[in-house]
Amino acid sequence: MTEAEYEHVTADIEAVVEDTELPRRLKERIYETIEERGPIPTEQADEIAQATETKYVDTRVDPLDPVGTVSAQSIGEPGTQMTMNTFHYAGVAEIDVTQGLPRLIELVDARKTPDTPMMTVYLDEEYATDRERAHEVVWSIESTKILSLGDVSTNVADMLVQVDLNEETLIERWPTVEDVDVVAAEIAETIEDALGVQTQRSETLIEFGPSEPSYRELLQLVEELRDVVFKGIEEVSRVVIRKETVADGDEEFVLYTEGSAFGDVIEIEGVDASRTTCNNIHEIYRNLGVEAAREAIINETMDTLEEQGLDDVNVRHLMLVSDIMTNRGTIESIGRHGISGSKESVLARAAFEVTVNHLLDAAVHGERDRLDGVIENVIVGKPVAIGTGDVDLRMGSFSAQPSDD
Amino acid sequence: MVDVSQHELVPEHTVLDDPDRVDEVLAEYNVSKTNLPKIKSSDPALPEDAEVGDVIEIVRDSRTTEQATVYRLVVE
Repeated sequence: MTEAEYEHVTADIEAVVEDTELPRRLKERIYETIEERGPIPTEQADEIAQATETKYVDTRVDPLDPVGTVSAQSIGEPGTQMTMNTFHYAGVAEIDVTQGLPRLIELVDARKTPDTPMMTVYLDEEYATDRERAHEVVWSIESTKILSLGDVSTNVADMLVQVDLNEETLIERWPTVEDVDVVAAEIAETIEDALGVQTQRSETLIEFGPSEPSYRELLQLVEELRDVVFKGIEEVSRVVIRKETVADGDEEFVLYTEGSAFGDVIEIEGVDASRTTCNNIHEIYRNLGVEAAREAIINETMDTLEEQGLDDVNVRHLMLVSDIMTNRGTIESIGRHGISGSKESVLARAAFEVTVNHLLDAAVHGERDRLDGVIENVIVGKPVAIGTGDVDLRMGSFSAQPSDD
Repeated sequence: MVDVSQHELVPEHTVLDDPDRVDEVLAEYNVSKTNLPKIKSSDPALPEDAEVGDVIEIVRDSRTTEQATVYRLVVE
C-alpha cells in the first residue's frame, strides 16, 4: 500500500503492520517512526505493531459506554477554567471577537446571530497576491456610508442638505469606474431612492432638502442620510486586510470583516468561495448545508477551547456535540429549547429545567413515560440501561460433557 | 450561483439509489430508515436528484481516521 516511500520499511515489516487493526493514520505513524530510527529487524517491528494495536484497542469506546455523559464532563470541567468575560482584541487583525465561555455558550445555544459576527474572506489567486486588487474586493464588501465619502452640512437658510463629496475617496472606492462624475451621479441617485427626495448636483456637490421647509425634517434627512449604504454590504461595518503566509511559503491577502453576510460575500467577484468562512453557524447552515454546519460547530468550539489553552479536550467530544446538534437536519441548541427539551421522557425533561411546567403539561396531556432512558431510571431508582446496567446476567448450571469427537 | 459542493466545509454527498445498498446500510447499523440522521430536502449541499425518502451517503474527511462514511435520510 505504501509503495517505496520508506527506505527502512521492508515488505515484511509492512506485512506485519498492515496485518493489524490500526487505522491508516497510525500505520503511517509507525512507518515514519521506523524510518526515523533506522533499520530494525522484522520481529521488533512486529512487537511495535502489536503494542500499538493493544493500546489502540484498549482506548476504544466500550459498548454501552455513556459517551454523552463523558463528553459533558470533559467539556464542562475545562469550561470552569475559562474566562467569564473577554472583550479584548483577539488573535487576528484587531477585530473584536467574543471568546471564552460566552462564545462557547453562544455556540451550544445555537444563537441566531453571534455577539460579534465576523468573516474570514479568502481571495481568488489574482486578487490574493495583488494589494490593489484585494482592495477592490474590500470596497465591494465594506459598507460605505456618506461620512466616509465627503462632508455633510446643512444650510438652514435655504433648507438644504449639502453633500460635498471627496473626489479622491471616490476614485479610491470605485476603482473600476473611470469617471468621477458617473460615481457622483450614482450616489445622487442612491440618495434619491433611499430618502425619496429630489437632488441637485453640480460636479461633486449634491444638494437636496425636504419638500416642505421644516427644520425638523431637515435634520431628520441628515440622520437618515448617515445610514444609507452606498457601496458594499450593509452588515459589514469594517474590513481588515492582512498579509498571511500560506503553507508553501507564498503570501496572500486575507480579509477579516466585522459583521457578516456570508451568502452575499461568496457571490462577490474575487472571493474564493471554497475557503471563505464566517463565525455564524446559522449562515453556514443556510448557505452550505447541515454537514458544513457540523464542521463549523466543531471548528468553532475547538478554536474557542484552544484559544483558552484548553486544547487537551479531545476533539471526539466536540464531534459528538456537533453530531447531536445537527442530527435532525437543522441546527438545534443543547438545552431546554433544543435537544434536552425534545426528549421523549417527561421525567427527563422535568429533571432538566422548569420542572413544574413540564410535569403540569404532561399531566394535562396525559403523557406516558416508558422509563427507557437514564434519567428516568435514576429518578425512580431502577438500574439504568447503560454500561453494566444494561447487561443481564443469568446464573445456572450446565453439565460439562466431554465432547465425543 | 456559487457551487456549494466546492467549499472545503462541505463533504461529498451522493444519493444511494441502489435499494440493496440502502438495505445493507440499515442492516449494518441495525436500524430502520427513520432512525438515520436527517437532512432537509432544502439543504443546499444536497445533490439535485435527491428526493424525500432517499438515503444520502456522505463521505467526510475525518479528524480521527482517514475518511468517515455517514448516512442521512432526506426529509421535508
